[in-house]
Amino acid sequence: MSLIMVVDDDQDLGEMLGIVLHGAGFEVEVVDRGDLVMERFRKSKPDLILLDVMLPGVDGIELCQQIRQESQIPIVMLTAKGDTEDVVRGLEIGADDYLVKPFNSQELVARLKVRLRRTTPSASGLRIGDLVIDENAHSIIRAGKSIPLTKLEFDLLVALAKDPSRVFTREALLSEVWGYRHATDTRLVNVHIQRLRSKIEIDPENPELIITVRGVGYRAGGTGVREK
Amino acid sequence: MRAIALRWRRSLAWRVTTTILVLSVIVISLVGTTIYNKLSQGIFQEKLNTSIYDATTTTRSAQLQLALAPYERQTTVAKIVGDILSTTSVESAGTGRDVALLPFPVTARQKFTYKGTSNQLSLNSIPVGLRTAVRAHSTPQWDHTSMVYADGKVDSGIVVGNQLIIPNSGRYEFYVFFSLKQQSDTLNLIIRNLVIAGLGLLLFIALLTLLLTRQVISPLREAARIAEKLASGDLEQRMDVHGESEIARLALAFNDMAVSLNQQISRLENLSRLQQRFVSDVSHELRTPLTTIRMAAQVIDEAKSSFDPVLARSAELLVAQTERFENLLADLLEVSRFDAQAAILDIQKIDINELVRRTSDYLDPHGDRIIHLHLPQHAVWVEADARRIERILRNLITNAIDHREEGQVDVTVAEGEPNVAVSVRDYGVGFSEKDRPFLFERFWRADPSRSRIRGGTGLGLAISLEDATLHQGTLQAWGMPGKGANFLLNLPKRVGDVLGRSPLPLVPEEFTTAD
Repeated sequence: MSLIMVVDDDQDLGEMLGIVLHGAGFEVEVVDRGDLVMERFRKSKPDLILLDVMLPGVDGIELCQQIRQESQIPIVMLTAKGDTEDVVRGLEIGADDYLVKPFNSQELVARLKVRLRRTTPSASGLRIGDLVIDENAHSIIRAGKSIPLTKLEFDLLVALAKDPSRVFTREALLSEVWGYRHATDTRLVNVHIQRLRSKIEIDPENPELIITVRGVGYRAGGTGVREK
Repeated sequence: MRAIALRWRRSLAWRVTTTILVLSVIVISLVGTTIYNKLSQGIFQEKLNTSIYDATTTTRSAQLQLALAPYERQTTVAKIVGDILSTTSVESAGTGRDVALLPFPVTARQKFTYKGTSNQLSLNSIPVGLRTAVRAHSTPQWDHTSMVYADGKVDSGIVVGNQLIIPNSGRYEFYVFFSLKQQSDTLNLIIRNLVIAGLGLLLFIALLTLLLTRQVISPLREAARIAEKLASGDLEQRMDVHGESEIARLALAFNDMAVSLNQQISRLENLSRLQQRFVSDVSHELRTPLTTIRMAAQVIDEAKSSFDPVLARSAELLVAQTERFENLLADLLEVSRFDAQAAILDIQKIDINELVRRTSDYLDPHGDRIIHLHLPQHAVWVEADARRIERILRNLITNAIDHREEGQVDVTVAEGEPNVAVSVRDYGVGFSEKDRPFLFERFWRADPSRSRIRGGTGLGLAISLEDATLHQGTLQAWGMPGKGANFLLNLPKRVGDVLGRSPLPLVPEEFTTAD
């Protein structure tokens, strides 16, 4: 059973989230103060963290940054403002996904399940350019050295690498990697592609592994696809 | 002429200068004419006086000479008369003085008569009226005349006439002519000088006026320029203040006005910002409890199969109304974003056809064949914010479905240059002409008794219009009670393009021909 840490200063919402997530089969730990999060996080080692952006004391963005320094676990942000810079900043700092209040419980559970999904390893070892993707170990290896990626970044890279001849639209990536049914917030994709590039590309300004197809989306580059 | 009229209206300096110049011309010519008249009168009177005196003396000395002459010797008398005619003119040669001697008509019948002029002066030079007057009076008579000479020379002058008695002959008319040439030369000189002085004065006045008006008007122009800038929104503009003149006071007052205007505006801006922030904050604050309510409602709803029917229906209503509340909140937030002018376009190249298909599938997922699409064969690419365009389409189509009264809904896409148009037509209740201006107003409902049942937020069309405007596009509506409505969206295909003719009509064809 996966343990989800819910961080929200609104105790009623925290409790309600606990009820819903528990009903969906998760173990839940609710934290209602930002300054207690790191301590509790280290102690209970949750599988996913659901983080409200606006918290008294330490704000969600800062917490997100602190968690990322220690762990690659999925972080999903909760926000009351879907349109603000906060969301983009949170995503840039390392949050994997976000939900705008008020969200619906099915949507929440669906997204969390996608984030906690165990990728079934494909038979053959995946490669993209000079990178070797080890699906069992959840790691990316370049010249014998492992590159740390968050689970989401790993999933994103695997999705692209598994079908190297395909150009993925942002909407397609949103549905495959994030589990969105119909959404048009493509910032999510753009931000994570940028983050992923900054980790795996030798020159992130001139990407060779994840290539932008103007007006359409992205595709895997390097040896994964025949160059024309 | 029109250019002058235009300058007259536009330029204060021009108006002042012109007025002053016209007035100066009038005054200067009046003064000039008066001076000239006085001078010429004086000069003439002076000349007349001396002339009469001169003529009287000349006549008297001639009379004296004649009186002393021997009576019987006619040749001697003739010689004296000849002397009189020549000497009187020689004496004053160059002054244009001439004489003429004519007998009275009665005298002309005498045996010896004398007649003559000096310097070949024509006898026609004597005005007829003067001759009568001379014959009637023994005192000197005078008149104006033109002195005509045999060689054709003509001179203006005055002529003074006296009676003269020649012994053994009778009464004679004796005329002395005085040319006015010298006087008219003097007067010409005076005129010339007066004109030169007048023109000089005029020039001086013009320059002075220009200088003075410029001194007064340039600060006014400056004020006008700054006021224009202020009016166009540059609230930091101020006038320079020099000294303590009226202009300086104007500048001070002007600057005070600008400052207080600025304060008022920033106060209002502040107020409206506060209000917008309040709306936005309230909407956000409502979201957290709403999330809890919504989740709770869903938990209850999921368990409703074990409830009795009343409880189960209540659970359904709770879920539905929570959802409606949520939509309302989302729309309110969107509106507050427009009011705060914080709405930003996220421009992408999108295929309108694809978007229409997607929206239609979303709103009519069971394929009930309510929505009929009329799309071009090829993709229609537009630079636009997909989320907003989809929202417009969703609002228009939902609206059409709500008001269709069992009829179908036609969605048509047409590509023109530089527009793309989408029309959403239904054949339902429509709306009346008097409702048209309110269609896009917030929370406005055509028929309060029925529309609210449908559960729209009342903000859909208002937001759609804002979204269309944000794209530099237009959203128009046509409707007729009982005949349905047509909403027409026009968007420029490329960002920054100005809309042209709509490729689709706003008023459906069957109604345009009927008109």
